Amino acid sequence: MQIDPNLIFINLEVETKEEALGILGSQLHISGYVKEKFPESVLEREEKFPTGLHFVPYGVAIPHTDGDKVIQSQLAFASLKKPVPFMEMGNVYKNVEVSLIFMLALTTPKDQPILLQKLMEMFQDKVTMNKLVLLEETGKIMAILQEQLDYK
Amino acid sequence: MKKLLIMCGTGIATSTVVTGKVKSWLHEKNIQDRVILHQSKISEAIGRIDEYDIVISTTIVPNSIKHKTIDGIPLLTGVGDDTVYEKVLKKIMK
Repeated sequence: MQIDPNLIFINLEVETKEEALGILGSQLHISGYVKEKFPESVLEREEKFPTGLHFVPYGVAIPHTDGDKVIQSQLAFASLKKPVPFMEMGNVYKNVEVSLIFMLALTTPKDQPILLQKLMEMFQDKVTMNKLVLLEETGKIMAILQEQLDYK
Repeated sequence: MKKLLIMCGTGIATSTVVTGKVKSWLHEKNIQDRVILHQSKISEAIGRIDEYDIVISTTIVPNSIKHKTIDGIPLLTGVGDDTVYEKVLKKIMK
């Protein structure tokens, strides 16, 4: 999987998670990685099965949905100008202030665990997470993701 | 032999990571022969939940099965996973 520069959003200005998810989901669709229903499906799923994760110092979200709405596995990234609240995974009563969104378009279980596993490791790496929040060049963000997630 | 179910919202993302981690942990502890692992999405698993001895979930579960479910998010993030493994181990050894 090669990261697509069109799917890197830096300092995205949004007021709500819905807005952010809409932008990322639509771009995945425009770029041809997912089917038309994907963006809406991600929103619905986020309400039922939230994906906010409380990491220190930055909260993250890993919105995704069923594989039948995905054409080709891909990742969309956004750093937010100011954090927006997501519900916490496994806990609808708690919000997480999310600074970084990693929208996952995943096809089958088989090829994806390594990606998600590497993401989780990266989320605990404060130096890298700081860079992802602060850097403002698409190329630099892509280089970090490529290296950290070991995309081939 | 204990039946262990790992479930999430879609059955492809977070539960896959947790399944991988539990698998390696079982091997580390050398208790892989005591457990059969299953992975599923919650909507498919919920009607058959009583078939399993141990249930780990990375997603919200209805109140009706809360008592049966172990919160698997620490296994996903790696933060605080020791406590979860302890709980699972207890259930396996029971």
